[in-house]
Amino acid sequence: MAQSNPPFMSGVPELLLLRLLDQNEMYGYELVRSIRKATGEAISLGEGVIYPALHGLERNGALKSRRKPVRGRTRVYYSLTAKGRTRLDKLQTDWRRIQGGITSALESGYA
Amino acid sequence: MHEPNFKQLQSQLLRVGISPRHVQRTVVELREHLDDLVEAELDAGRDIEDARRAAAKQIGDLQEVAIAMRACPELRSWSYRFPRTAIVVYPLACLALLPAVPVLAGIAHAPQLARWGACMLLGGTVTASMFLLMQLSISLG
Repeated sequence: MAQSNPPFMSGVPELLLLRLLDQNEMYGYELVRSIRKATGEAISLGEGVIYPALHGLERNGALKSRRKPVRGRTRVYYSLTAKGRTRLDKLQTDWRRIQGGITSALESGYA
Repeated sequence: MHEPNFKQLQSQLLRVGISPRHVQRTVVELREHLDDLVEAELDAGRDIEDARRAAAKQIGDLQEVAIAMRACPELRSWSYRFPRTAIVVYPLACLALLPAVPVLAGIAHAPQLARWGACMLLGGTVTASMFLLMQLSISLG
């Protein structure tokens, strides 16, 4: 049975956040900069919108956060949990399947 | 004015039932983010006014933040997610907590209560001593 495709762009910020946080723990500003750098500025989010996404992922157990004082400021650092890693694997698999499907359609000349 | 209106965002989010914990943290993180952006713009050689303007532009429209938070049901407070349960549980919890209120208030104001108790004890001792003296003077006199 064919798997259903998730909505196109709706999972992209989530996938990027989980992928970047899989490498290092980061705070919001750092994450936005990393997304820009990692995607060659092809994807730039409205910077404030990153926080609802982070809080939602934390609430679902995919991320955990800790407060860390840095130069007189309190930064909230996010990192991936085991549940988040499983979610990342699933999203990566889904994304590669969709990407493969689209590439194949574009190259076959049906599109 | 270039400063994003965080106060308005805060009240807007609370009104639609986002949990106060998430609202407060979002506002703190957004303020920190704005400060980082201003700092980066200043480092890039802009003057403070331009830096603030550019930072506010980069942080984006706060309405988008509000819309994104409203779209996450898991960020809503417990009573907004389960209103029917809240209608039953909140009054019962209030009734159950009622007897504990004086105790909790006492714990919260322990130093004042201790001072008040010491004053009462001192006052009582002075009054009792005066009565004793009067009694003695009547008896002996």
